[in-house]
Amino acid sequence: MSVTTSDDAPAAARAPETGRGGFSLSLALRFALRELRGGLRGFGVFLACLALGVAAIAGVGSFSRALTDGLERQGTTLLGGDAAFTLVQRPATPEEMQLFTAAGRVSIIATLRAMARTGEGAGLNSTLAEVKAVDGAYPLTGTLTLDPPAPPAQALAETDGRFGAVLDPVLAERLGLKIGDDLQLGAARLRVTGLISNEPDLLATGLGFGPRLMVSLAALNASELIQPGSLARWHYRVQLNDPGSLSTFLDEVKAKAPQAGFEVRTRDAAAPRLEDNVRRFTQYLTLVGLTALLVGGVGVANAVKSHLDAKRGVIATFKSLGAPGRMIFAIYVLEVVLIALIGLLIGLIAGTALPFALDAAFGHLLPIAIESSVQPAALALAFGYGILIALAFALWPLGLAHDVPVSALFREWDDNGPRRPRKIYIALTALAILALCALAVAASEERRIAIYYLLASAGVLITLRLVATGIMAIARRLPRPRSTGARLALANIHRPAALTPTVVLSLGLGLTLLVTLSLIDRSLTRELTARLPDQAPSFFFLDIQSTDTQQFSDFLAKEASGGKIEVVPMLRGRLINLGDRPVEQITPPPEFAWVLSSDRGVTYSAELPEGSTLAEGRWWPAGYSGKPLVSLEKEIADAFGLRVGDSVTVNVLGRPITAEIANLRKVEWERLAINFVMVFSPNTFRGAPHTSLATLAFPQGVDEATERGISRAVARSYPGITAVRVKEALAEIGALVANLLLAIRGASLVTLVASVLVLAGALAAGQHHRVYDAVILKTLGATRPRLLLAYVLEYAALGLATALVAVLAGTVAAYAVVVGVMKIGFAFSLPAALGAVGVALLLTVAFGLIGTWWALGQKPARILRSL
Amino acid sequence: MQPDSRFSTAAPAIALDKVELSLGSGAARVHILKGISLNIGQGEAVGLVGPSGSGKSSLLMVLAGLEQADGGSVVVAGQQLAGLDEDSLARFRGRHVGIVFQAFHLIPTMTALENVAVPLELAGRADAFERARAELAQVGLGHRLDHYPSQLSGGEQQRVAVARALAPEPAILVADEPTGNLDESTGQQIMELIFAAQARRGATLVIVTHDLALARRCDRTVRLRSGQIEESALIGGDAA
Repeated sequence: MSVTTSDDAPAAARAPETGRGGFSLSLALRFALRELRGGLRGFGVFLACLALGVAAIAGVGSFSRALTDGLERQGTTLLGGDAAFTLVQRPATPEEMQLFTAAGRVSIIATLRAMARTGEGAGLNSTLAEVKAVDGAYPLTGTLTLDPPAPPAQALAETDGRFGAVLDPVLAERLGLKIGDDLQLGAARLRVTGLISNEPDLLATGLGFGPRLMVSLAALNASELIQPGSLARWHYRVQLNDPGSLSTFLDEVKAKAPQAGFEVRTRDAAAPRLEDNVRRFTQYLTLVGLTALLVGGVGVANAVKSHLDAKRGVIATFKSLGAPGRMIFAIYVLEVVLIALIGLLIGLIAGTALPFALDAAFGHLLPIAIESSVQPAALALAFGYGILIALAFALWPLGLAHDVPVSALFREWDDNGPRRPRKIYIALTALAILALCALAVAASEERRIAIYYLLASAGVLITLRLVATGIMAIARRLPRPRSTGARLALANIHRPAALTPTVVLSLGLGLTLLVTLSLIDRSLTRELTARLPDQAPSFFFLDIQSTDTQQFSDFLAKEASGGKIEVVPMLRGRLINLGDRPVEQITPPPEFAWVLSSDRGVTYSAELPEGSTLAEGRWWPAGYSGKPLVSLEKEIADAFGLRVGDSVTVNVLGRPITAEIANLRKVEWERLAINFVMVFSPNTFRGAPHTSLATLAFPQGVDEATERGISRAVARSYPGITAVRVKEALAEIGALVANLLLAIRGASLVTLVASVLVLAGALAAGQHHRVYDAVILKTLGATRPRLLLAYVLEYAALGLATALVAVLAGTVAAYAVVVGVMKIGFAFSLPAALGAVGVALLLTVAFGLIGTWWALGQKPARILRSL
Repeated sequence: MQPDSRFSTAAPAIALDKVELSLGSGAARVHILKGISLNIGQGEAVGLVGPSGSGKSSLLMVLAGLEQADGGSVVVAGQQLAGLDEDSLARFRGRHVGIVFQAFHLIPTMTALENVAVPLELAGRADAFERARAELAQVGLGHRLDHYPSQLSGGEQQRVAVARALAPEPAILVADEPTGNLDESTGQQIMELIFAAQARRGATLVIVTHDLALARRCDRTVRLRSGQIEESALIGGDAA
């Protein structure tokens, strides 16, 4: 007898073979397509989870791109010209003006904060306004829309000794003004000629703390608010005769006015900070969408596992007919990919539609017209995330299909199958996870945040899995309760194929995110409102002329008895060089980009300012008169690698000033006391025109009426001084932050929906076990209330355990973000924690009982026959 | 134990020597096959009989390459099966063994034609569908090619399963209680088909059955009890 020891035994005579050892990808695809004829039953949650997560990511990405595309395409209109040059505290010189006018049409605009006033004596009313004074050429591009309609030059013209003024409707409401009413700006008398409906260059000029008051440059002159050192910004918008000559023009300005200290913007980046913020916000929302996909991944894994369990017989049949394990893997991986593609397609279509829908519903509320279109990059990113999540969660259970034993055909349940797939499938799973991480990091604006997010997600996923195992282990070891209901509930928590891991993972992830965001929200709100330190000032006063400083201090001392007054000189300056390096050549860390992006307040002081401590170096001696010295805030110096002895160059009032770093300070910013990044030695600015900044604090506290009284007194006696009430300013910031958080929390609901879907899917998949248990127990004499109690106990125990873990993990994550990233105080919120517990209990018990309820109501015989 | 002389002119199609098989683990481990030695000649038809739990189906699985023995030697169609991995066993089955199950095990999402074509497609046969069509015509289902299993009666499903088992022209045909899920008359028709095909192609046939009348239609019956061969009897011949 001839016996071969490998599988190369001669086959029976047959037609030519085309395959290679029973495996070919096209054959696997053919089988997968035939398998799909069975429909998508059991894949509802799989499809919904992928579609939801992908729609969220694609929608956020598409909307953000539509917004930034709008910003880019409408750059000239938003900027008010092809290029804009901004100077602080001084207008352009005639030579600089000559450079602009030679290139094209020029419009001059001055902006500053000032108090707008109405009434006299006891009826005096005043409020902070963002003043914009424009010339006759404004706007060079776009249209200033007024109500009632009028050309800007006509609306702002002087008639009967009063200058025309147009206002933001908010300002008109605050001061109780209507068309034709008078108001006062410094020494100028104004008359309201219209309300602003649309300001074309609003985004480029920037949003301020106060509402807009627009006047002519002549009115600004008449107001006498522009004094040497006043904190006004001068903007020169240029519409080029030859729009193609933009870069030549910029080079020429740079060459001919190298020391001007212009902040330059072009039509290509009309609102760079807004674009940065949109991108950053998009990243956060994308990460929230990715969390929804991660939660959905649990649903993907569940669906694939259930599908393969149901297909055990078919898989074994394939194998009995000669299909090798890798053919089985190929068939089912292709099937899962094809189904995933359907989910992804639904998600991509919904995501593409989102900007169109938002534009149709809320377009009129947006400051610019967005350019909704199909955004291939955003869709590709969402697709990438979707397919990688599907693979990362599906490859493991698919790998197990390779080794489904053929004996499954003969034995109803064969537990000899491996619990862990072959190494190749573990490696493929790891590869999909790595690719997912790489994509998340590569696609993010701030990679550090993406890495933190990935580490946190991995930590939470692993923790939740361990917790699920722990809960099952504890349930297994707990003494058996005497009550049948409790005993059944306990057994259901730890029995094989228990719902515990799925419930803990899916609900836990969604709840953790919700708790994290709630606690960040709570901490931020408290930081902005309740946690104002006692020594925080009630007022900031800007634009105090040097000649008025002492007089104003005395005035405040009299008007605000018990108040603590601090006055410091204040100039504005732009950093030009750090050491020998021009700032244009420096790429700052994202969180410190603001230091270089615009002009900063600078001051001088003979002594170390209050609220600062010396960290390195020495303070300059009293009466110091050597070369200019500067003290830098330590954290910022560290971020830019600056050390004591290095030099920095700052452009102040059009003059470059180079100073040596004498020391580094640590500053307690949260005290809100006056403090500056850069404090110079007093001799640096000797003789330079400047104004002062004052704060008024009430260490013993103060009521609202007193604050308003002080406001009125200052407006009456010092119309040129701008008073900023800290509580009002913080309330404005608080409202902005609340809106942003609302958007993020709204997006996080997508994650909770994904959790609910996965939970519902898992509970539905386990339903036939429940029905079987319930019917058998009823047959043996269990009453419905007793069974109901058992299920409520089980679901409630799972929900409670999950909620506790979510509260703990969410608190840790929020603490890390609040203390580590935002560097503010952490505040725990009991309502947020209780809310999470409530949501978890509600969802698990409600979803759990929905299906079981039906079984409880049935007569056992009927169900037993169908089992 | 030697095969009947009527079939021993060539090397045996199946040669089992001291085959051992245990299933389960730990305290639940059960010794199923205990030193089984059995030769089955080419073209021979053997009926495996015995009470439930005697090891009939397990023996069938071992000789069909569906289960690996723990010990002993299993040589089928000239191939030593010991030491082959799962994928090699799958390819071996695809080339040499046709299997008919009690529960048919058709793939519900495939038509009758596609079900029969599967082993041929897996073997890379370019004429898979022509062959499948011919096989279905042979079992009288030429008019039901595009029907799904759920649209066929139990008897028709089992005919499709027989056609699928025969399509690759295997040297060995095994059947596990092929009539167990069918009524008596349909069961008889199926067995006629199986025996006719075996005779026509000269294949070796091994059938597990509780039906003694069916077993008597084989050339030999092998009776198992508690994992051992209790009796091997030639039909119309000597008991071994």
